[in-house]
Amino acid sequence: MKYIFSICLVLSLFLAQAQETTTLKNVADSTSSKAIIPDNGNLKTVKLPDEKQEAVVPAKTNRYGLRVGVDLYKLTRGLYDSDYKGIEFVGDYRLTKKYFLAAELGNENKTTDDTRLNFTTKGSYLKAGFDYNAYENWLDMENIISIGLRYGFSTFNQELNSYKIYNANPYFGEIPAIASGEKFNGLTASWIEVVAGVKAKVFDNVFMGFSLRLNRLVSNKKPGNFDNLYIPGFNRTYDGDFGVGFNYTVTYFIPLYKKKVEAIVVPTKAQPKR
Amino acid sequence: MKKTFLLLLVLAFTFSSCEKDDICDANTITTSRLVISFYDINNSSVLKNVTDLTIIGEGKTEGITFNGSTLINASTVSIPLKTDADVTSFRFILNYGNTNPAVVYEDILKFNYSRTDVFVSRACGFKTEYTLDPLTPYVNTASDVAVEKWIQYIAVKNSIIANENETHLEIYF
Repeated sequence: MKYIFSICLVLSLFLAQAQETTTLKNVADSTSSKAIIPDNGNLKTVKLPDEKQEAVVPAKTNRYGLRVGVDLYKLTRGLYDSDYKGIEFVGDYRLTKKYFLAAELGNENKTTDDTRLNFTTKGSYLKAGFDYNAYENWLDMENIISIGLRYGFSTFNQELNSYKIYNANPYFGEIPAIASGEKFNGLTASWIEVVAGVKAKVFDNVFMGFSLRLNRLVSNKKPGNFDNLYIPGFNRTYDGDFGVGFNYTVTYFIPLYKKKVEAIVVPTKAQPKR
Repeated sequence: MKKTFLLLLVLAFTFSSCEKDDICDANTITTSRLVISFYDINNSSVLKNVTDLTIIGEGKTEGITFNGSTLINASTVSIPLKTDADVTSFRFILNYGNTNPAVVYEDILKFNYSRTDVFVSRACGFKTEYTLDPLTPYVNTASDVAVEKWIQYIAVKNSIIANENETHLEIYF
């Protein structure tokens, strides 16, 4: 199981790597064509001097800054699910052209009602890591299709509300659920999360995003005579150490500074003279 | 990039589909029954088969089904104890349904124990583990005082009832 995970990671890295090289080629292609097209138009109307025709892409700038927002799914779930209260704040900071520092901070209060168990989990979590934007934007677009990694940590407590005893031989009849109320405090868990996400600019500085997450537990402090069947931030735990999650975010981008993208100069000799 | 995304989607679904832990596996050790072995009183090391033994729990009319039958003709039997009380009584009727009432013996066995509920898993919930009372683990009486008890001697082999792989109680008759 461990190996599958690492193989997937390596694979995804390779894919990202492969994407990077191809997109770079695309950049070169698109910029050169861009340089050609306006020239063709210009040549027909205005007579340009034949010499010194430098095809320079208009200086493109990238905006750097902080993006902050909230997970709409967690926020709205509390409205229709009486067993759930939760909030998650998300944020990222653009480090380089393609890398973003990213973090999520949240709090959850969830009552899980299973057939044999009913328990309430309360706690907070923090996830920190990075996102790699594999999407090459045209012009001044700022959309993101990213893959990233997070390290998540949660501190929480569980309260066992009621439970049923499993009896394969119910000769004396099925016993109804037994009320417990036992509390397990001071629990912690940590995990690694692989994130695939998209963010699209809907209007000025406002982004809508969606991300899918695969989690794998690194540490898990379990209570005595019970288990962490739900961990805030990690979500439901399965028999193994894996978990899944997603969020649906709306974020606001606070621009801090701009960086010029190095203009790609297309060799003039490539221009055919007319 | 689309490929990466698709791969992750597929991965997400494969992991979410291995949701095996919703059904309690029959091989999981859950609440165990009390395992009783029957021995010959004249030769205490030899297992002895009971004939047409029926065990009826307190307040019940039908006997306990063991290996598909309520009539037990074997040297061992497993009986469920109550998970919501610290005492369970049973009527042990030998030669049950025999036309000759003289060979039908009925003993009442009352078991005293303490219980602990132990967490198993999400699908199974909890199980009950019993510990037979160290002072009076059982009380054996004949249902009819005029008739002697058919059970002559009882020995507690394992007072902790947490699995069904071992004998907890030995009955000599």
